[in-house]
Amino acid sequence: MAALMLRFCCAGRRWTLSCVDGAFRQGRGPLTGSMSSRIRGQRSVAQHSFTTAQKLKKGEREWAAVVGLEIHAQISSNSKLFSGSQVHFAAPPNSLVSFFDASLPGTLPVLNRRCVEAAVMTGLALNCHINKKSLFDRKHYFYADLPAGYQITQQRLPIAVNGSLAYGVCIRSQHSQVANKTVRIKQIQLEQDSGKSLHDDLRAQTLIDLNRAGVGLLEVVLEPDMSCGEEAAMAVRELQLILQALGTSQANMAEGQLRVDANISVHHPGEPWGIRTEVKNLNSAKFLAKAIDYEIQRQINELESGGEILNETRSFDYKLGCTVSMRDKEGKQDYRFMPEPNLPPLLLFDSESLPAGADPQQVINIDQLREHLPELPSQTREKLMLQYGLRPEYSFTLLNEVGLLEFFHNVMKDTKAKPHTVTNWVLNRFLGSLKQHSLAVSESPVTPSALAELLDLLDGRAISSSAAKQVFQLLWRSPGKTPAQIVSEQKLELLQDREALEQLCRATLEGHAHVVMDLKKGNPRAINKLIGLVCKAALNRADPTLIKEILERQLSS
Amino acid sequence: MTFLFSFFSLDHCGSRLGTKTMLGRSLREVSAALKQGQITPTELCQKCLSLIKKTKFLNAYITVSEEVALKQAEESERRYKKGHSLGNLDGIPVAIKDNFSTSGIKTTCASNMLKDYIPPYNATVVQKLLDQGAILMGKTNLDEFAMGSGSTDGAFGPVKNPWSYSKQHKAKRKEKPHAESEDPDWLIAGGSSGGSAAAVSAFTCFAALGSDTGGSTRNPAAHCGVVGFKPSYGLVSRHGLIPLVNSMDVPGILTRCVDDAAIVLGVLAGHDPKDSTTVQDPFKPFTLPTLTDVSKLRVGIPKEYLVPELSREVQSLWSKAADLFESEGAKVIEVSLPHTSYSIVCYHVLCTAEVASNMARFDGLEYGHRCNIDLSTEAMYAATRREGFNDVVRGRILSGNYFLLKENYENYFVKAQKVRRLIANDFVNVFNSGVDVLLTPTTLGEAVPYKEFIKEDNRTRSAQDDIFTQAANMAGLPAVSVPVALSNQGLPVGLQLIGPAFSDQQLLTVARWFEKQIHFPVIQLQEIMDDFSSVSENEKLPSISLKQ
Amino acid sequence: MWARVARLGRWALVGGHRAFATEVCRGGGRVTAEVIAHLERLALVDFGSREAVARLEKAIAFAERLHAVDTERVEPLESVLEDRCLYLRPDNVVEGNCVEEILQNSHRVVEEYFVAPPGMCCAKYFNSELRPEEESWWCVKAL
Repeated sequence: MAALMLRFCCAGRRWTLSCVDGAFRQGRGPLTGSMSSRIRGQRSVAQHSFTTAQKLKKGEREWAAVVGLEIHAQISSNSKLFSGSQVHFAAPPNSLVSFFDASLPGTLPVLNRRCVEAAVMTGLALNCHINKKSLFDRKHYFYADLPAGYQITQQRLPIAVNGSLAYGVCIRSQHSQVANKTVRIKQIQLEQDSGKSLHDDLRAQTLIDLNRAGVGLLEVVLEPDMSCGEEAAMAVRELQLILQALGTSQANMAEGQLRVDANISVHHPGEPWGIRTEVKNLNSAKFLAKAIDYEIQRQINELESGGEILNETRSFDYKLGCTVSMRDKEGKQDYRFMPEPNLPPLLLFDSESLPAGADPQQVINIDQLREHLPELPSQTREKLMLQYGLRPEYSFTLLNEVGLLEFFHNVMKDTKAKPHTVTNWVLNRFLGSLKQHSLAVSESPVTPSALAELLDLLDGRAISSSAAKQVFQLLWRSPGKTPAQIVSEQKLELLQDREALEQLCRATLEGHAHVVMDLKKGNPRAINKLIGLVCKAALNRADPTLIKEILERQLSS
Repeated sequence: MTFLFSFFSLDHCGSRLGTKTMLGRSLREVSAALKQGQITPTELCQKCLSLIKKTKFLNAYITVSEEVALKQAEESERRYKKGHSLGNLDGIPVAIKDNFSTSGIKTTCASNMLKDYIPPYNATVVQKLLDQGAILMGKTNLDEFAMGSGSTDGAFGPVKNPWSYSKQHKAKRKEKPHAESEDPDWLIAGGSSGGSAAAVSAFTCFAALGSDTGGSTRNPAAHCGVVGFKPSYGLVSRHGLIPLVNSMDVPGILTRCVDDAAIVLGVLAGHDPKDSTTVQDPFKPFTLPTLTDVSKLRVGIPKEYLVPELSREVQSLWSKAADLFESEGAKVIEVSLPHTSYSIVCYHVLCTAEVASNMARFDGLEYGHRCNIDLSTEAMYAATRREGFNDVVRGRILSGNYFLLKENYENYFVKAQKVRRLIANDFVNVFNSGVDVLLTPTTLGEAVPYKEFIKEDNRTRSAQDDIFTQAANMAGLPAVSVPVALSNQGLPVGLQLIGPAFSDQQLLTVARWFEKQIHFPVIQLQEIMDDFSSVSENEKLPSISLKQ
Repeated sequence: MWARVARLGRWALVGGHRAFATEVCRGGGRVTAEVIAHLERLALVDFGSREAVARLEKAIAFAERLHAVDTERVEPLESVLEDRCLYLRPDNVVEGNCVEEILQNSHRVVEEYFVAPPGMCCAKYFNSELRPEEESWWCVKAL
């Protein structure tokens, strides 16, 4: 698997600082008031950060932020980590609960092979060292949705350690340059999910559903190598893609299959790192970057006004758009980790160390798993770049939008147009329209085959490119129709009558003498204006290239 | 209550079948009787139920599952009639310690916390017994959550040692006979599986399951004059055994003779996919070979087990037992287990830590006692646990949490784990040096009166009483207590044999040979037993070879 | 055997380790009010009395004896089965779908949910002003 080289590091670092600076030096006003504008403006700030770097005020001290992440991904498996009850998103309460999940006394954990494989595959995909021996521990705390009073996890010796996750961050606008970044992976561990609490405030009670209790989780710990919300969000997105490609987790944040906790602190560059806070349960892709950036700013504001940062846990209030302290208990927490006595050490093998005559059901061969790893996103992007000559940022965007790559492939399949054209249309016009209408790819009114047909018409020079744009807009509004139908209804076919075109050109030249003069003076843009005028006159039915040719011939004569 | 003086003395596991009462037979013998139609499962079950009622004052049972037992007996009878018996355990009454889950039958662990808890599943070992047609007579009494060495600290009262009421003991005390319920000097049964030991000792069942974490099966077995077997850790499933210390607990087997224990082990042992701490090696049930020649046997005597607190009587019996082996041709060697003196403190730390963890699930939310407080979850949990646990349990939870605190973990818990390795290695070294089996006392002395026992607190008592037994739990080794002789007070004394890991069959073979040499007397209980009254006095056996 | 016993007896009395000795209660220093509060909070079990605190102190003093053992370069023993492979279960759904059995032992059930009190904890019950000498460490008793 090709590892992405770290390019633009210097630029990246500078960007990082200025990302912080640019984003977080704008005033210290009330937190909620200017929040929304700051968040909305953030994208543009980030985009312009390259230039705002030059605008740093002298005398004011810079701030740098440090962000680490703990990501919990639900393992995609039929049954739970230590019991044989089903893993399923929506089911009647407590219907997917075994005696072990309910912590009935005397029940014991039995490890699910599939979960181990998922952990190893994920570790391999993230360049981790797989520990041939790993251990399970109990982490003790009381909570209504934790029936045993402890969670089984892998604190001391997890299944995978010391890996790395390469991801890309857009430097300027949506699909301009991409900076390649890496974040180190501290460890990947297997652990149990907890049940769910539903608060019934009306009757002053909490309802507990243990369907989720015991589902296998992969906890991926990312070292604090990130410096802002954007980086964190992109790292999470890349991890999501990797997990989905591996099939080890569906990683759908909306369904709670991927949950992120962030550890955030700020400091002045060159000085020791500050106290960190933990922001828990960032469960929305949309708000991930926001919440982190909010917290960074909150800490800066706090410190700049002489306050101090407490080592506490906070959660993000989506409605208010701010982090709030979760601390509702005095006293320090101590999880009193203890080895899980009911699970002897987990031993993994490679082809060399595989014991002879071992039951294949009872042993896991790391090498075998490595050989059968599916294609990872970075490899997919490489392939796209090689196969279609795409620029890196395009391949990033194609993968980052849910469903876009598939859409792209489907269009490519059905059209004769060149990849460059397809890419252009998919990433600009198509994606742009989706964003404009806040739609997901799956909700698109334009199907891949419709777009393919449209591009074929364009490619076969049946319509002009401006006509094509028009057709696309109409397609969007009337999904039932085919491009061919729209073209014929709107009479957008390219003019085939050369004579008529020549006449139009002559008429335009005559009607716009000042532009002609402009052109003769040497203004290069004048010709485009003329072409545009002819196109308009031709009701978008003329091929600009042909127009240009005719105009030039007519002008020279 | 009327009493019939019936004197009898029978070899509990030997010949002379003709006049022997059915209840006094070995498991193998009564199984044969069932097959031959000499008695039906229902009759046998009813005999036991009747005896349970008569010995109610022993408080050996928390729950007597009469209806269930009779129904099972009926089914067994049908099988026998068709000639389709399931095996040696078909129709045999057994009792189960009340910390094993039994589906549909209350499982209390002698705790207020679980006093109304009815599990929806059977422990694997219970299921195995039932699958073999065994008859479940009831759930036996114990120390709360198996914490204790006297079976005195349970929510349903203490267990009384049947030997308190035996002719042998009373003769020594030279007291006038009086009603059992008024006897103020009754003796403890040992613990924590005292109920199971008493149930077997009083003939109310042919076998009972106990649990053994630090000696909880062997200790009461020694005090009640029965065989108490602790299998190797990993041989028998713990699924359904409500745990005390997961890394040391094993289900224990209590029977009146070694052969019976082997039969039960044969049914219970083997890999259980529901218990990841059972070994995956295939297990073949065995019939114990009859050992005749012990000349190749090497018996080790650990010198560190000779402690000042050991009673002279037990010391003397231990010595005589060693002489017996030697006189029969075995090689008896003094060995050393250097870290013996640390095993109690090591056990203390590891045990309390695990208890702290295992008890965290008892919060009243999903099962068990629940308090009336509703202000917050933590307040509810706290009050539930306060009301549900006795002082012993609560004390261990607090100690265990202390040792698991971040700042203490390395110094206490990890340190104890290291010492545990040293202790386990002591045994490995000894067994590797050519020793086949170790011979040690089981307890410091005979059963003490309850009044005396409760003078010390539970932890101190456990620390004292577990001294010979708990090292085997730390190392996961098989061990068995065999009743050897009666003390000057007419009370049973047992001796222990310990073997290397997974040498259970060999260990029981040696134990069976040893048992045959010593002829431990049958308890003489003054109860109404129809069978017994017909036996004549002339049946008394000659003196016991190891008697003082 | 008698000679052997006599030898052993002499050895035990002279220098050998005693299997146990009466523990010395060092008391006081180790178990502070802070530690008490901390443990009660973590374990959700209250000491309830001075005796209980004294018992903990004894337990700690007893455990101190471990430090006399030299465990240099000794690996902790977590499981006697440490050399054996952990059993792996196939990923099949074989349990669950038994909501009645799951709920049957609970005292409080609403519709098929377990029912817990509204919040996790209540600041009132963890007032650090309370001292362990007071009979009830938990406000619960006052309710």
